[in-house]
Amino acid sequence: MITAGIDIGSITAKAAVLEDGRILGAKVLFTGYNSRQAGQAVLDELMAEIGITREKINAIIATGYGRNSVELADKAITEITCHAAGAHFIDPSVRFIIDIGGQDSKVIRIDENGRVVDFAMNDKCAAGTGRFLEVMARALEVDLDGFGDLSLKGGAAAKISSICTVFAESEVISLISKGETRENIIAGIHESVASRVAALAKRVGVTEPVMMTGGVAKNIGAVRALEIKLETVIRVSPHAQVNGALGAAVLAGGINR
Amino acid sequence: MDAFEILKAAAADPYAYGASIQAKTGKPVVGNFCTYTPEELIYAAGGVPFRLFGTKEDISLADKHLQSYCCSLVRGGLEDALRGNLSFLAGAVFPHTCDSIQRLSDIWRLNAGFPFHIDVVLPVKLDTKSARTYMIDVLAGCKTDLETALGVQITPERLRHAITVYNDIRRTLGDIYRMRSADPSIISARDLYHVVKASMIMDRDELPPLLHTLRDELKAGVKAMPSNTGRRVILSGGICNHPDIYTVLEESGAQVIWDDLCTGTRYFEEQIEENIDPIEAISDRYITRMVCPAKHLDVTARGENLVHLAKAQKASGVIFLFLKFCDPHSFDYPYLKKFLDDAGVPNILLEVEAQLPSDAQLRTRFETFVDMLN
Amino acid sequence: MADQSTAKDPEKERRKIKSVSKMKEIMTTYYIEAKTARENGKKVAWITSGGPVEFLIAMDVIPVYPENHGAMVGASKMGVGLCEKAEEMGYSRDLCSYARSDIACSVTDGGPIGGLPRPDFLVCCNNICGTVLKWYEVTARFYHVPLFILDTPFIHARFSEASRKYVVQQTYEYIAFLEKQCGKKMDFERMNEVSRLAVHGLRLWQEVLDTTAHKPAPMTAFDAFFHLALIVTLRGTKIAVDYYQQLLAEMRQRIKDGISMVPNEKYRLLWDNLPVWYRTKWLSDKFADHQACLVADTYTSAWSGVMDLIDENNFIETGAIAYSSVYINVSLDIMFETLKKLIKKYDVDGLVMHSNRSCKPYSLGQYDLQQMVMRELKVPTLIIEADMVDERSFSESQIETRIDAFMETIKK
Repeated sequence: MITAGIDIGSITAKAAVLEDGRILGAKVLFTGYNSRQAGQAVLDELMAEIGITREKINAIIATGYGRNSVELADKAITEITCHAAGAHFIDPSVRFIIDIGGQDSKVIRIDENGRVVDFAMNDKCAAGTGRFLEVMARALEVDLDGFGDLSLKGGAAAKISSICTVFAESEVISLISKGETRENIIAGIHESVASRVAALAKRVGVTEPVMMTGGVAKNIGAVRALEIKLETVIRVSPHAQVNGALGAAVLAGGINR
Repeated sequence: MDAFEILKAAAADPYAYGASIQAKTGKPVVGNFCTYTPEELIYAAGGVPFRLFGTKEDISLADKHLQSYCCSLVRGGLEDALRGNLSFLAGAVFPHTCDSIQRLSDIWRLNAGFPFHIDVVLPVKLDTKSARTYMIDVLAGCKTDLETALGVQITPERLRHAITVYNDIRRTLGDIYRMRSADPSIISARDLYHVVKASMIMDRDELPPLLHTLRDELKAGVKAMPSNTGRRVILSGGICNHPDIYTVLEESGAQVIWDDLCTGTRYFEEQIEENIDPIEAISDRYITRMVCPAKHLDVTARGENLVHLAKAQKASGVIFLFLKFCDPHSFDYPYLKKFLDDAGVPNILLEVEAQLPSDAQLRTRFETFVDMLN
Repeated sequence: MADQSTAKDPEKERRKIKSVSKMKEIMTTYYIEAKTARENGKKVAWITSGGPVEFLIAMDVIPVYPENHGAMVGASKMGVGLCEKAEEMGYSRDLCSYARSDIACSVTDGGPIGGLPRPDFLVCCNNICGTVLKWYEVTARFYHVPLFILDTPFIHARFSEASRKYVVQQTYEYIAFLEKQCGKKMDFERMNEVSRLAVHGLRLWQEVLDTTAHKPAPMTAFDAFFHLALIVTLRGTKIAVDYYQQLLAEMRQRIKDGISMVPNEKYRLLWDNLPVWYRTKWLSDKFADHQACLVADTYTSAWSGVMDLIDENNFIETGAIAYSSVYINVSLDIMFETLKKLIKKYDVDGLVMHSNRSCKPYSLGQYDLQQMVMRELKVPTLIIEADMVDERSFSESQIETRIDAFMETIKK
């Protein structure tokens, strides 16, 4: 049986296709302003890539903030449930998921069947999200892709104490003017994100093993900083960015059409 | 209009209702922020107790008086007062609850410019004899203050009548809640929210027959709607002024079947004894009723109560709905959560301000929560 | 260069308050005694800073002050870590940072002194806020110990007869509670002695604070924050009386010798609200750079401001009224009267208000007080947004700019 998952996030749209527990392919596109079209577009491109047609797909589940606008989907399920299913699919031993996306961060505790036991999301403030890292990278005039690597080169992380993104930005600027090294500041920024997310995680209660998903999982600096805060080794999903879509495709296997 | 439509219209635009009732009846409309307001005394003095819920408008005038780390109820209430949105009020009664309301009372008195202002500094602990004695003294003082402010005499007869009316209102609201808990299809949670809200602002002479009619209609199944199979959840917290919460939750597969809110059961639970001294009887209702977290009963009373509620109402889960910056509720949260976790009752926390989080975020939380319950 | 730096040191030394070492010694002894109370067969009670400690002293119970401990957490810059710990436990970031850091210390035995000694019982007086009620409920659940609440009704206009009766009645309930917890009767003669010492200590503390009315001031509000500890923790003991006698003598001597804390004091300021514990030095240097001295504050006089209401021969009944009348248990208009007196007494050029996220009863209403001060007294005011313990709410560059701008208006 072939199933598909489509994850419409605020910045990117993701799709994944599964055939009997095997990943046929996955794809990421920018969402653009029309999330309705984004779902169709990302699935079309993926189907063309792996050479299948719409008729071959038995069921489709949409997830993410735009999940209710994907008309071709059979069902919509929240990204939290999908991330749980996706992480469980990749590694059934995982019991805790940290998903840091562009707009928000989520922590999810799951049971041995990949079901959500408890979860929490950040409040509307940007601290502890991918957006925070983006703003800070811009303030430091550093490319976001190299941001994590640079943070590991920092000696002593500079202290960024402000929780507010706006204040933190001015704090970073004053650190620059005081001559603090760029690497140390970047390390401090990652520590700040990690402590926000770690607080959220501990509120829910961390159960090992922990897996990280979402776009920020590609940032090694954020992963390391979180490992230190949580005193645990974090597994990064090899399909971190498409984990939600993958989970949706997994859950689509349970749909009877 | 049928009874429900009248109630709903009042709740949908409370200020228009407040102004109209003032114009129509000439009764003094008396603002308040709390279920510890001795409404029976206000009613006995010929007034209309009028619960305030804060504003939906942007805060600008209140920012001159209150810092941003103050809850949206306090800031929003002041905003409405300063903007003149509450010009139909004759005055306000401020029972002592939390630190923020306590300071709001000062700021309100110094800036809002209403004809009268009464502070009711109730005890914070409700589990000792001396606190009861003090509460009786304070309520007697409030009675005198109201008499002075409104130029009336609150005779024992008027007070007894007020107690009878309030007992009736509270009993009827309780009946409707219980009927809905038994069969949620008789009225939606959103509609019930409007009924309770209306009960907190309407002329209490006009209200009882409407509530009776509604109750009888519901009993007869007149307002039946498609039966709702959503998971049963309890809403716990301070105020809820967001009808959308009920709808979004319903669309996510759950329904509120009971609550532990100031704008819910805390408003109508417990009756007032009709055969003893009226002031003592009013005090005793506050002492018997489950406390709000700004008051002290026993250190675990609220936790035990919440677990009991969940069991008694056959709820699958509890949603904590707090106003951001609400100290009393936030302090109780970790322990209430632990009590529920230990009893195997799933729960989530939603902190809101005057505006709800984005619709998408709210749905994500609720839908995931419902997935957890299934 | 070398000459300059050696020439600078004696000047600095001269300005230092010599009693500081004695104070540190007393506090160290006190905490050692508190931490070893159990071995010595003594009971420990946790009590709020505004609570009537005299009764505990008379019953030979060692009082421990979580708030004083909170101040130590802040001063030792350990607040953020502990607050984060409490947040992980589910306590909102918006709650009082004393409460958050203290709750975290109970669980982790962390903080500057490895946690406070376990309480045998708790005494909570809500004359300072409603927060302590919730905080002590948390503590009572955590340690499974009895909690006594002394409920001091807030004063919007005047202290009513009903309130007086209620608080006095509770004072007797408090005594009965202590007798039960300690398994012995209250020795009222000893209680009278403690009351006298308490009042004596309060008088001396007030006299110490009064010395800064002198120009230039022999100490600053920042020093008062430090020396306050004894009037909170050891009020009603001879130790406190002796210490404040010594401190008072030193202050008088400094006046005689013309020693001021801020060199070339030119501008005098009044501080409102709790200190920013992790930044007292930074703030004091910052103001000193402008030749400004924070000569007094509304916080440290909270303990002695109501002293006149106490009849030391009838402490049980009059103390109750005094405790109910402290600075933040009263309405904004009454607070303004106190502010007016302080502004006049210390002849200040400006008012600096710390808008403290942790303390709503102290901070909400400051904007109105600010307006009253500017309108009626024409005294410039500055509001600093911060927090007493949680450094994450302190934006150095923002506050620095505000202080500089404020001082520019004062110098004009």
